Amino acid sequence: MKSISLYVDKDSYLTRLHPFAKMVYILAAISVPFIGGALWMYGLFLVISLGFLISGGILKKVFPLIAFSFTILITIFLIHGLFNKENETLLFRIGALAFYREGLLYASRIGLNILNMLLAFAAFVLTTKPADLVDDLEQMGFSPRFGYMITSVFQIIPQMMGTMNTILDAQRSRGMETEGSLITRAKAFIPLISPVVSSSLINTRERAIALEVRGFGSKTKKTFLREHRLSGGDKGFMFLMALLIAASVVWRIVYGIH
Amino acid sequence: MNHLFKTRLHAATFVLIPACIGINYLGKLFASVLKLPLWLDSIGTCIGGVLGGPIIGAVCGAANNLIFGFTTGDSITLIYALTSLGIGAAVGIMARLGHMEKLSGAILTAVVAGLTAVVISTPLNVIFWGGATGNVWGDLVFGWSQSAGLPVLLGSFLDELVVDVPDKLITVLIVFAIMKGLPKKLTSLYDVNDEVEILD
Amino acid sequence: MAFIEVKGLKYKYPHTSKLVLDGIDFEADKGQFIGIIGENQAGKSTLCQAFAGLVPTMFRGAYGGKVMIDGVEASKVPIAVLCQKVGLVFQNPFNQLSGAKDTVFEEIAFGLQNLGIPREEIGKRVEKALKLLDIIKYKDRNPFDLSGGQIQRVAIASILAMEPEVLVLDEPTSQLDPQGSEDVFQVVEKLAKTGITIIMVEQKMEKLAAYCDKILLLHRGRQVAYDVPERIFSRGDLRELGVEPPVYTQVSKSLSVHRKEGEELIYPVTLKQIQKQKDQFPLTLSGRVRQPNNEKQEKDIFSIKDLGFYYIPGAPVIENLTLTLDSRPTAVIGQNGAGKTTLVKLLKGLLKPKTGTVLLEEEDISGRTVAQLAKRVGYVFQNPDDQIFKNQVLEEVMVGPLNIGMSRKEGEQRAREALEMVGLLHAANENPYDLDLSERKMVAIASVVAMDPKVLILDEPTIAQDARGREVLGQLIRTMTEKGKFVLAILHDMDFVARYFERVIVMAGGKVISDGPGEEVFYEKDTLTKARLEPPHITRLCELLGYEGTFLTTEDIRE
Repeated sequence: MKSISLYVDKDSYLTRLHPFAKMVYILAAISVPFIGGALWMYGLFLVISLGFLISGGILKKVFPLIAFSFTILITIFLIHGLFNKENETLLFRIGALAFYREGLLYASRIGLNILNMLLAFAAFVLTTKPADLVDDLEQMGFSPRFGYMITSVFQIIPQMMGTMNTILDAQRSRGMETEGSLITRAKAFIPLISPVVSSSLINTRERAIALEVRGFGSKTKKTFLREHRLSGGDKGFMFLMALLIAASVVWRIVYGIH
Repeated sequence: MNHLFKTRLHAATFVLIPACIGINYLGKLFASVLKLPLWLDSIGTCIGGVLGGPIIGAVCGAANNLIFGFTTGDSITLIYALTSLGIGAAVGIMARLGHMEKLSGAILTAVVAGLTAVVISTPLNVIFWGGATGNVWGDLVFGWSQSAGLPVLLGSFLDELVVDVPDKLITVLIVFAIMKGLPKKLTSLYDVNDEVEILD
Repeated sequence: MAFIEVKGLKYKYPHTSKLVLDGIDFEADKGQFIGIIGENQAGKSTLCQAFAGLVPTMFRGAYGGKVMIDGVEASKVPIAVLCQKVGLVFQNPFNQLSGAKDTVFEEIAFGLQNLGIPREEIGKRVEKALKLLDIIKYKDRNPFDLSGGQIQRVAIASILAMEPEVLVLDEPTSQLDPQGSEDVFQVVEKLAKTGITIIMVEQKMEKLAAYCDKILLLHRGRQVAYDVPERIFSRGDLRELGVEPPVYTQVSKSLSVHRKEGEELIYPVTLKQIQKQKDQFPLTLSGRVRQPNNEKQEKDIFSIKDLGFYYIPGAPVIENLTLTLDSRPTAVIGQNGAGKTTLVKLLKGLLKPKTGTVLLEEEDISGRTVAQLAKRVGYVFQNPDDQIFKNQVLEEVMVGPLNIGMSRKEGEQRAREALEMVGLLHAANENPYDLDLSERKMVAIASVVAMDPKVLILDEPTIAQDARGREVLGQLIRTMTEKGKFVLAILHDMDFVARYFERVIVMAGGKVISDGPGEEVFYEKDTLTKARLEPPHITRLCELLGYEGTFLTTEDIRE
């Protein structure tokens, strides 16, 4: 079954690090530059994130993620480089387009922010199995029923994709043209939405029965198949991140906004 | 007004939510495969709202963005969890008020959902991306507004408006069509006002 | 007080007007095996759900009377409590998985985790269930990657691990192939001996007759009888109730082999009982009189030459297949993975051959799109839900006719005719999803028949059909053939094949290993063993009784 999760099944210190520790890292990576306000702080966390990704052997998997946000990055640079209100200093021209220093600076701050978030999340997403994350959340007191909801998303989507292919075949069999030009194919997509959606909704009824008869509504405290506690290393790591956040607050108070 | 937020929290609800999130995913996939200038990523959230009420709608919306944000690396999505939450709740409330029974009501619902999305998203756009949305058409409007010297907030508002309102209109119309086709056996599972009637 | 007591049970789904259960009254003791039979819409599934408390706790609606299980009233306790006493397994294997677990082990543990059973205990119980159902080798596999029969066993294991005192099985084999159902029946047989109380809904009457202490016969929500299998299956009104007695009983009836209990004639219902009364059977029977081969030259519909296909290079699904199909109704039989569905998908153009050609009435179909072929080749999918697009039955059936360019008027005309043929004209205005699985299957068939194709391909049409449904299907096959259409069906029900098909093609490992009329194919022992198939029930029975000659259907039993 093809998964939509980006988890790379590869044993490394990153996959062994407790998901909570990795989440605290994301928190630090986002909040430190935000609180501290200095541009170099983005750089610092970009380097740390890259370090994680390289040492975890998963750098290659990051590129598609970055490509994902490429369009919005370009738009931001274009709009602000050209039209930002603060624009004063002309930096360069491409044909009739004049790019200004202030706008580009503003755009690069936003761009760095996006890149920083992406990489920090990538370090988490690529090394954490969703089911394990949910299990850990539940052990910390998160509702198992909501936990179920999250894990089941990962099974339901591949199932729906499978259904979609079968339905497409069924439509072709009933004489709907799905091969040929882009327009023909586009037209074929529209009547596909409704049956896929309806059938997945209808399946929920039986799935709900299956859950009910397996004690889903039970008020008893759920048993966990394995216990996963924060190790000394996890705790140390989280403490370090908390220190960084605190440091950024101090920095902000001492140096003010840049 | 008591029944407006009444929610049935049983297995069927917890199966509905992931299905709705899956539907969101498919919608989004369609839009990107067909290169449509729409998101179509809230069909499921709206269905959740209509079937389960505003609370389930809100949960569908928020959970959708949180789950995808935390597992597919699309961290941009995370920020808009708030928007999705708002859409789900808005559609849920409108449905409970009985607006999803007729086509005219569905259109009204779409407008309400669209405006909710715009109001919540605009400040987020400004804070995180300086006003852009990443949608080509919307960003053309934003670019134009900035070149015309309009304030960023207003520009971004227009940017979001031209994308979100038509998007929600199509989304809610799809939802309306689907709801009409769902069997009673299924919809009655989510009806909050039913009680077991005794036949003896 | 009896272990299970059902008293005056009545039930109506919300927003409907008809009672689906109306006055059910019976008792059962601990450790008994109770069968529930009746045609579709008899209320069998609803009754099963009433044992598990889903009716009315989950579905609500209107409820009367009571269901007591070991002193507990099913409608009064939460389902999560009741599920520790009563386990429910139902038809669809896939929807029974929790949908949140990555391995079979975790899947089975899911219910136990919910109930807060201590971890060590969970481990022990899951291991035990895995062993009992013989699925320990799949322990670490993803349940969604297993076959239907395997998943169904996982589902039973998941319920058994919760150690219920009553196990309710609602047609657990109806969506499985013969191997899959056999696997499940073997487990059920094993369980019956463990002292657990079993309530089972099933269409395979031979099995019920062999296992059950008592059988509950339902019809349109009402209880017709509750008695031992011999008395139930000896009734004279079964046909009107849409129930077909076991083959053993049918044969005994046509040969008047019975014993008397007062005024009543009691017929044997199992192979064992037949053997006991063997002396009452005639010593010889002549069997089927072979029709002289009417040598009229049939026109070729499909010419398949050197056909080859694979999904993954190096793992051929179909190899070097050469075959001509004419307009005689033809059944393709064989185990799962034999390449049957792949073959018909190639004929339909849904898959493109990797080697070789397929000619349809002398024209190569490789240049045609599936939609262009739709006018001439109709294909009904195994799962009707994959091909239901509209929310009204009539509209649904009209989709195809309109797609191939018929006018609305003509389309509606054809759609009504097709619905008439499958006996669903009365449901023309309903939402297909409000119908049950067997009816949805008929809608799917009608929607293809309405396109008036030259070729009608049916993939497992008999699954989930009761006796009446099978008869409607058989009639449809005959009508289509009379109209000069070619019916090609993939089937697992050998009794049905023997009755309605002139030509039988046996497939194994992507090759045709036998091809001919049923009279020949079903007597080729080696071929059937190789394809892991069994001949029709009657054929086997007559062989046991030592009759020489050809016996394929009950009509062949004549003195």
